[in-house]
Amino acid sequence: MTERQSLLIAGVAHLALLAALSIGFELNHREFPVPEEIVPVELVQIADTVKVAEPPKPSIKSAPQDSAPPPPAPETQPTPAPPKEPVPDPTPAPKPKPTPPQPAPPKPAPPKPQPKLLDTAELSNLIDKTLPKAKVKPLDTSALAKSIEKALPKATRVDPRATATLQAAIRAQIAPCWNPPIGGADVKRMTVVLHIELGRDGSVSGRPEVVAQTGVTGGNADYARAFAETAKRAVLRCAPLRLPAELYEQWKSFELNFDPSEMT
Amino acid sequence: MRIPLLLVALLLATPAAAVLRVDINTGIAQPLPIAVPAFAATAPAATQAGTTTDLGARVAAVIAADLGSSGLFRPLDPAAYTTTVTPGDVTAPQFASWRTLAAQALVTGNVTANPDGGITVGCYAYDVFSSEELARQGFVTTAANWRRAAHKCADLVYSRLTGETGYFDSRIVYVSETGGKTKRIKRLAVMDQDGANHRFLTNGQNLVLTPRFAPNQQTITYMSFADNKPRVWLYTLGTGHQEVVGEFPNMSFAPRFSPDGSALVFSMATGGNTDIFRMDLASRRISRLTDAPGIDTAPSYAPDGAHIVFESDRGGSQQVYVMNADGSGQHRISFGDGRAATPVWSPRGDLIAFTRLGAGKFRIGVMKPDGSGERLLTSAYQDEGPTWSPNGRVILFFRTVQGRSTTALMSVDLSGQNERRLKTPLDASDPAWSPLLP
Repeated sequence: MTERQSLLIAGVAHLALLAALSIGFELNHREFPVPEEIVPVELVQIADTVKVAEPPKPSIKSAPQDSAPPPPAPETQPTPAPPKEPVPDPTPAPKPKPTPPQPAPPKPAPPKPQPKLLDTAELSNLIDKTLPKAKVKPLDTSALAKSIEKALPKATRVDPRATATLQAAIRAQIAPCWNPPIGGADVKRMTVVLHIELGRDGSVSGRPEVVAQTGVTGGNADYARAFAETAKRAVLRCAPLRLPAELYEQWKSFELNFDPSEMT
Repeated sequence: MRIPLLLVALLLATPAAAVLRVDINTGIAQPLPIAVPAFAATAPAATQAGTTTDLGARVAAVIAADLGSSGLFRPLDPAAYTTTVTPGDVTAPQFASWRTLAAQALVTGNVTANPDGGITVGCYAYDVFSSEELARQGFVTTAANWRRAAHKCADLVYSRLTGETGYFDSRIVYVSETGGKTKRIKRLAVMDQDGANHRFLTNGQNLVLTPRFAPNQQTITYMSFADNKPRVWLYTLGTGHQEVVGEFPNMSFAPRFSPDGSALVFSMATGGNTDIFRMDLASRRISRLTDAPGIDTAPSYAPDGAHIVFESDRGGSQQVYVMNADGSGQHRISFGDGRAATPVWSPRGDLIAFTRLGAGKFRIGVMKPDGSGERLLTSAYQDEGPTWSPNGRVILFFRTVQGRSTTALMSVDLSGQNERRLKTPLDASDPAWSPLLP
């Protein structure tokens, strides 16, 4: 091989090397990524969700005493989306226009309304009342029930155990004083309900009133009167009753139902 | 806006569902404690029956005894009374002192001597615990009749407090017996329902049985063996006049008046058969009501006069039958164990009292006019011959003590309680109770 041949080979090899190297550089060239669709994104402050729609603490003041709806917590953002968009925007969502995403730090200012885009979050807020930014907040009835109960008179809030012992106490004091008529016609089938008003010391104020009476026919009116009188006598004989003072609201006015049908 | 208004409305409305109601299902069935203090004399005066003060005490005693004998009242012991009733207290009693005695009712009254020799008894009933006056009435009568005024006052108190009509102002006619088993002397006797004013009507020469009052109470019908002929007689109480209702050739017995007093039903034996006949008292004409083989006896009218209950053994043993007043529709109503005899229809029309014979005993029972609801009220050896009080609440009968020949009048309340003996001077049987005296 002559020098010339070897120089030629070397030159071709160098050129080939250069070509290879320059092509490979082309292949490894990095390009900037191109976004394929535009997705509008709203950034929300994490702190906002906690503060919205906190149920009011049970207290007389927070009970709905006037016509204003319960005020939301003060830090709540005002409803961000424009309320005048009941129908979803029919324009197709993806827009090739790239919108730079919102800057990461959350802004307290309301984000710009975008009426042309379908705001699915807005949709959800319309439909699902439990979401934090719902337009129509559901009534929090749990707190409401508590506040109503507290506002009602004490007498109606009865503890079943206290009532049961109260009934037993009244019964134990009045039943031994009741002498139902012996052997009169139809008296076994009669009943009478008396309404009693008691003072704080357990004494009867006024007279027991007959509220209702059953088993009375045209023919046994005299027996019915005698029967009702035995009931009234039972109450008056055994007054004053000894009943717990703290439950006075429950026993200051009550009814007694005298029914001898179970007596032998 | 609507929801807050609803809330406001809820707050303002008082809930009505929380009225406490207590059921009293048991009580104590006991006689009503009642206080009957001596009646006050409006002014001390003398009457044919004693001073008015004295009469006041006796009237109160009679009232207390009547009410106690009914079994529905318990008169308090007069020795326990803490106050005496003055004439002013009669209309305005001091209830506090009666309450301490645990009296639930109070009867006060006064006795006034009238210028014509009679008396006026004022009678007042009060409810002690409610301090209310329940009833008041005055009764004018002769001094000798003071007991009737007391009975009428007791009837007033009884009916006001129990709802029943009274029965204390009535009389009982019965057969007074004496002598041994072989020499029995039987006399008709009449007395007040509490045993007072007793007098004999016949002298015991002839055997007498089953006396019964007429509705007007002036006549008694009975059966007598005068001249050895057992026949039905009439006795006029005012005059003592006795007459036989009809000269029948055969036995006639078991007479009773119809509710209007115009007729008599009785049994008569003809042609070997004993049947029930009806006699119109004005015309003395008899008509036959039953014709079955066997002994038909003890007829008793229903208070409306439309039906008659009687006893017959046409089915083989004594049983109780009911028929229409003209004799039609005879049907048996007693179907219990043993035999049934001497039926009597209650003045209230709701029950028939009878004697149940069986298991070695005679017992008094009641049943409804259709035969259902049979209840036996007594349980001794030999109780028979029931008769009803005028209010249909008390049954009087006579009891023979086992092993002895003594008989006595006994009464029992319709509830089966309060069995008590009615004291008579001698032995007694076959009682009959009069209607309430007007």
